[in-house]
Amino acid sequence: MAILEARNVTREYRMKAENVRALAEISVAIERGEFMAILGTSGSGKSTLLNLFGGLDRPTSGEVLFDGESLAPLSSWEMSRYRLRRVGMIFQSFNLIPTMTARENVSLALAFAGLSKSERRRRSLELLDRVGLSQRAGHLPSELSGGEQQRVSIARAIANEPQVLLADEPTGNLDSSRAAEVMEVLDEMRRRDSKTIVLVTHDHELAGRFATRIIRLKDGRVIAD
Amino acid sequence: MKFTDIIALAWRNLRQAKLRTSLTITGVIVGVAAIVTMVSFGLGLQDNLLKDALARIDLFTSITVMGPGADALLAMQDQNQDGAANANGDDNGADASNGEKSDGAASTTPEATPEPSPTPARMLDDPAIAELQSISGVRYVLPNFSFSNYVRFEGRTRRAFIGGAPRSVEYNPRFKKFLAGHHFASDDAREVVVTERFISWVRSKKRINGNRRRRPGGPFQVAPTRSEEERAREANGILGKEIILLTLREQNSAPASVFGIPIIDVSSNEISGGTAGDSSSELGEQYEERVYRIVGVLKAEDGFDINNFMETDMFIPLEHAKGFREAGLDPMSRMGELLAGDTGYQNAEIRVADVSQVDSIKEEIKKRGFRAWSFTNQVEEIKRVFLIVNSALALLGGISLLVASFGISNTMIMSIRERTREIGVMKAIGGSDGEIMRIFFVEASLIGLAGGALGVLGGWGIDRVANTLANRWILKQVGQTVRHIEFFSIPWYLSSGAILFAIIVSLIAAIYPAMRAAKVDPIKALRYE
Repeated sequence: MAILEARNVTREYRMKAENVRALAEISVAIERGEFMAILGTSGSGKSTLLNLFGGLDRPTSGEVLFDGESLAPLSSWEMSRYRLRRVGMIFQSFNLIPTMTARENVSLALAFAGLSKSERRRRSLELLDRVGLSQRAGHLPSELSGGEQQRVSIARAIANEPQVLLADEPTGNLDSSRAAEVMEVLDEMRRRDSKTIVLVTHDHELAGRFATRIIRLKDGRVIAD
Repeated sequence: MKFTDIIALAWRNLRQAKLRTSLTITGVIVGVAAIVTMVSFGLGLQDNLLKDALARIDLFTSITVMGPGADALLAMQDQNQDGAANANGDDNGADASNGEKSDGAASTTPEATPEPSPTPARMLDDPAIAELQSISGVRYVLPNFSFSNYVRFEGRTRRAFIGGAPRSVEYNPRFKKFLAGHHFASDDAREVVVTERFISWVRSKKRINGNRRRRPGGPFQVAPTRSEEERAREANGILGKEIILLTLREQNSAPASVFGIPIIDVSSNEISGGTAGDSSSELGEQYEERVYRIVGVLKAEDGFDINNFMETDMFIPLEHAKGFREAGLDPMSRMGELLAGDTGYQNAEIRVADVSQVDSIKEEIKKRGFRAWSFTNQVEEIKRVFLIVNSALALLGGISLLVASFGISNTMIMSIRERTREIGVMKAIGGSDGEIMRIFFVEASLIGLAGGALGVLGGWGIDRVANTLANRWILKQVGQTVRHIEFFSIPWYLSSGAILFAIIVSLIAAIYPAMRAAKVDPIKALRYE
């Protein structure tokens, strides 16, 4: 069974007087352990699809299923628990809290899960060690390089052991060598911890190198699989 | 997320914008300090009036107990009152004689049956006084036998308030505080115990050199600060001196005699109102002089000498006093007393240790068969007035807290705008709307708590400064040191209430910002760099 599935999903936005259709009756199923890259130009609806998978957004019609169960009936609070436990999100602009150190950023995700302070301390260091940043735990994001920041955000994303990692252009702000580093980390997550990775990118080269499956979106539709 | 983590997050957020946070808190401080200062002034006023001044004037700690003698008097005066069956008068064995006499009084006027209350009071005699004294909470019972009479001291004459006191004073702690000397040797000794009020009269005479006679110690005269040794020395100096009590010589026909002392009709009292001492030789022909020796000086009660107003100048043995009083009574009162026969004391003043006990003790006294009367209802009335005054003051102070609450809303909305992205991140990594909301509510209550606590402190500071200045001003105006007056009162319920109120106001101010924070759309918040 697919771990994540979109069934006939349409997502429309209202922009001024116009309805913008970001996704048009799209159906995608992502299997467990896949490294799937979603390619497409900007405005193709790839980020919208990722936000739907990430539980940040709800479809206008159709449904999103996680492990065979629809997200539609979930309350706002249940949706937040879904984001906390089931999926981990990684962003192009890292989205670390600038006033918190690397460890505190990772800790925050653990705090939302209700871990005690000592547990958080131990676990956050462990997670930073996983992404090779145990030496940088006490640094603020501004004191870290882009690649390091993205690795912190990966550590944060896997903090509560989600089965799926959703990465929205994680390498968009990085140079190619840093980008490759980040992709290595993600790939290792897939291979070692059998996580499912969904990667949104417009970098064909990187996608080709790491992805096990590539789909292409255009104007809210899948044009290639 | 655990609540402690939410507090930690909120605390961190506040610390991140130190200037903005402290300015917002300052707003709350001003509001709370205004409330605390205003209300503490109102409460201080109330305290001064109720606990202090009024307690000292003994209006509110005193209960007047009336005996049947008073009944007879009331009966005479309230003849129009349709009385209940006077048979009740016989129910009480102790009052049997009194009841009969009352009937006698009634027979002089047709039809009217004077009976002021269903059950006449018990006889207020010495055993009764002792019994009243035994009620717990009673400081002392003073059978009221004061009257005014002319006295001469060191060649000067004036009208003085004279009280009668029994020799046995074991139930009367008041007569234990002697500044000098002691109590009467016996119940018929020609001895007098004077009060400090009398001494201040003597002193004022000396200062004024007897030109114009001013009544010493008006009700609100400031008590001069004299050391206890000074007062004792003065008191000792007066011991052994003689005070002459003057009674009118028997001039009229129809003299009545009570206790062997002639009763004089007031109509013949031509010197009443005349300035005594103008021509003492002339007066000497009309007056009979009775010489008393000063054997003791009673110590005045501490503090404001408001008591001057009520207090007697001297005490003489009770039986003597009774005689003098008969002589000085107006005909109506005298008649009442005659008709009532030996009814013991007309009334007695009971002083209670604490204002709050007055009601219960009054009930106890009534249960024992006496009539009792006190001012306590007025206390309730005054408290009600103060509640209104204090509420108005709190409302005035509350306006500044209202202004501060807008400051809180503003600060939080600003902070949410700045932290939109952060809120979006929190939501994306699993923070719920409720958790986001709680962070902001906790931030607001921290502002309220800090502002409230510092505001109470600030209000207290303002009170201290204002109090010092006010006392200094009084000192300047009066020119004498008065007992330090506390104009403000901050009871625990005011300080904790003000802090609680500040927190509640802050929480209300945070409702809109917190809801706005919870509604932040993470997609929009995270979209842009």
